[in-house]
Amino acid sequence: MNEMLWPILIPAFAGLVVMILPAGLHKLRQAVALIAAVLTCVLAAMLFSKEGGPPYVLPWFQITQTFDFEIALRADALSRFIVLAANVFGVLVVLYSLSYMKGRERLREYYAYLMWTLAAANLALLADNLLLLLIGWEVLTVLLFLLITIGGGAAREGAGKTFVMIGASDCAMLLGIVFLWQIKDTLTLSSFSHETVDGGIMVIAYVLLLVGALTKAGAMPFHSWIPKAAEGAPVSVMAFLPAALDKLLGIYLLARISLFMFELSLGLRLALLIIGAATVILAVMAALVQHNLKKLLSFHAVSQVGYMVLGIGTGVPVGILGGLFHMLNHAVYKCCLFLCAGAVEKRAGTTEMEKLGGLARAMPLTFIGFLIASFAISGVPPFNGFVSKWLIYQGLLEVGGYTSAIFLVAALFGSALTLASFVKAIYSVFLGQRPPELANTRPAGFAMATPIAFLALICVLFGVFARVPIQYLIGPAVAESGAGEIRLAGLWEPGLATLLLLLSVAVGLVIYWLGSVGKARRTSIFVGGEVHDAEEIRVPATGFYETIRTAGPLEALYREAAEGAYDIYVLASRYGSNIVGMLRALHNGVLSSYLAFCVVGLLILMFVLLKI
Amino acid sequence: MAIGYFFLSVGVVVALGLVTSWIDRKVTALVQARVGPPWYQPVADIVKLLGKETLVPENSRSMGFLLAPLLGFAGACAAAAVLIGNLIGGNGFVGDIIVLIYLMTIPAIALIIGACASGSPVSVVGATREMKMLLSYELPLLIVVVTALIRAGTGGAADFRIGSLIAFQQESGWLVWSVSGIIGFVVLVLTTQAKLGLVPFDAPEAEQELMGGVISEYSGPPLALFKLTKYMLLCMLPIFTGVLLLGGFSFTGWSILWSILKYVVLIVLIVLIRNTNPRLRIDQIMKLFWGPVTALAIAGLVLAAFGL
Repeated sequence: MNEMLWPILIPAFAGLVVMILPAGLHKLRQAVALIAAVLTCVLAAMLFSKEGGPPYVLPWFQITQTFDFEIALRADALSRFIVLAANVFGVLVVLYSLSYMKGRERLREYYAYLMWTLAAANLALLADNLLLLLIGWEVLTVLLFLLITIGGGAAREGAGKTFVMIGASDCAMLLGIVFLWQIKDTLTLSSFSHETVDGGIMVIAYVLLLVGALTKAGAMPFHSWIPKAAEGAPVSVMAFLPAALDKLLGIYLLARISLFMFELSLGLRLALLIIGAATVILAVMAALVQHNLKKLLSFHAVSQVGYMVLGIGTGVPVGILGGLFHMLNHAVYKCCLFLCAGAVEKRAGTTEMEKLGGLARAMPLTFIGFLIASFAISGVPPFNGFVSKWLIYQGLLEVGGYTSAIFLVAALFGSALTLASFVKAIYSVFLGQRPPELANTRPAGFAMATPIAFLALICVLFGVFARVPIQYLIGPAVAESGAGEIRLAGLWEPGLATLLLLLSVAVGLVIYWLGSVGKARRTSIFVGGEVHDAEEIRVPATGFYETIRTAGPLEALYREAAEGAYDIYVLASRYGSNIVGMLRALHNGVLSSYLAFCVVGLLILMFVLLKI
Repeated sequence: MAIGYFFLSVGVVVALGLVTSWIDRKVTALVQARVGPPWYQPVADIVKLLGKETLVPENSRSMGFLLAPLLGFAGACAAAAVLIGNLIGGNGFVGDIIVLIYLMTIPAIALIIGACASGSPVSVVGATREMKMLLSYELPLLIVVVTALIRAGTGGAADFRIGSLIAFQQESGWLVWSVSGIIGFVVLVLTTQAKLGLVPFDAPEAEQELMGGVISEYSGPPLALFKLTKYMLLCMLPIFTGVLLLGGFSFTGWSILWSILKYVVLIVLIVLIRNTNPRLRIDQIMKLFWGPVTALAIAGLVLAAFGL
């Protein structure tokens, strides 16, 4: 059997086994899920290590003379590395779930859905047939809906919204695929190679596919399902899908259509850049005023997509490299952040920032993981987020001209805003004063701590030794897209910079040692000349950015955003029902008006037909 | 080799920073009709702080509280290596200006984390102000930097190194000599003032209301590190302005005098602003930077696009 089939079939089969196993054998179920995930990951790694073999084609059925449907798989450099990344996250999330999901209901379904999600994602990533890709995509939509509903009653609304939005984007993709078939008479992905996007129908097809990619990844204006889903979904689901897998898939499709299948015109590229820049800034502004850790993280999951879109939109090798690297990095640190949030939720019972505080001492590993991932997402050197953002900035600079200045400023400033909102999160959850009811919080257990530690370590390694992933994971994909050669000489040297930072810390430590910090004395805090106890002087983080929220024109923007004025889902339902209302008013039940409609319709038909 | 340059750059910046802070205090004293301290006063202050006891608040997260000064110092040192290493060693890399901007924000981040970990309400309030300040000044600052980079880029210095920016200015004139350049300079002076946390933008420390704010719980060696970091920034930010718009600094022949003059003029400008203005509230600072100053910076960008 072909090696590309295994990563699809094994999790699919494991999902079935997990579903069938009786309820009493819960330990066995977990073992099956974990082993299957590890096995798939190993197979994905083997697939990655091989230079792409010949495509696998299995003819299935034929409708009329022209429409062949075949199961065609292909593993080029782009697919191979994303498949590998997706399966690594699969292992981590299954491991994490062993502890996090303990005591919840519907666990049998949960593990089965996780397995099937992996299978469907691998199918979508390896498919060489657009229809096959769409099938994988649709299965993922349904599974995502089901996984969110496992969160219980609170998750229902978010699940529905997710299903509607992604489902609608799937329809758009289907339409786009039909258009492509109309033009090219084929659905094989690899037979599209840098087609120029000219003429109306080609642009429409591209834009329809783009809608599918952006909705999956969660770029504006198709983002609003992510924050809604975050309200109720289990954190492990958020960490697995919207934070990691959906980014990989969405950006995979974006890269596939924008770099491999089509050759973008300047206008479309500009549109991508505008979408990217707007997503970065607007989503992070929304994140600033969130008071729930999960919601805050979900807005960042939207904002960071902007960087990837910006990188790919530049169209220069460095920018594309940065965009794809950022996709990978984002999956790493955002998954880590969500997992930390899950550990906090599990141990403290809430993710409302007001009720949390001072957990750094109780959960040290979670704190360090969260801190590293926060620095990475804010692009603080030498962590991985900095490297990929830096590559994207470099790409934007290479595009040149004064229009790219605006995008560059948006991207740079987005980092500062990101940092600001994470300062709030770190303070309110891990620093600050611990509320009395959290006095006995325990640290995260082994199964929860391992994935967090692993991902935090990757954040550091991919930052310090950035050349390794760039050269072996992403470089081949960029080279294959034909965007041009990447010149690595003279680029940012993270290794040296890290060494310098460590040296400086050493110098600082010497100063500490000279000043005998070791003999530090603990004292109480005096405020206004009096000693207060901890609870009395607790400063909640909810007021951190109140100045921003109420500053001039921003106040109106925030108010409208809270009412859903910038949510395509709310807009569609609001104006959609208006249109439905108008149509309903036409059906007034009076025979003469129906007759009038018939006559008018006939007249129009006659006019059209006779004219042709 | 690189490590030798690193220690050299850090040494230069620390020494220059100490001298600069003395200039600051001396000029301030002159403005207020006082005598002012002797030249070694900043060194004496640091040494004195090293000898003092370290106090850690009872309900603080002591790890974060004590590590934050180290982080800030490390960021300043790395920034020094990139900036000064470029000026004296000429060993830059593509896009080092962006790296420099990032490194120069690390001290502010460290200050915020340290203050958040201290457990003191005044420090936390100071930290939120510091964060909001960072957001405020970063926007116009970035616009000015990107404008300068693109002006140099369209003029042929397209690898965005500090070195090639200086070379470009030596060949085709300082970037400040144009309408957009002058606008950029004004904006840069304002953002420098804010980045240094000097009056009128010292809301995060605000002695009279927050008793030092972000640094109010620090004492002894950690405070010494924060002070040292601040001195280093006081030295580096004017140099950054000089590199970006004023043709950089060179140390051969008579141009040494010219470079020193540039530096001293920039420092005196900062000190005079700090001594002749009242403190702004944090919301006023935000409105100022996100409103008029950003508008000014954008105007500079637009003018630059038209080649003015």
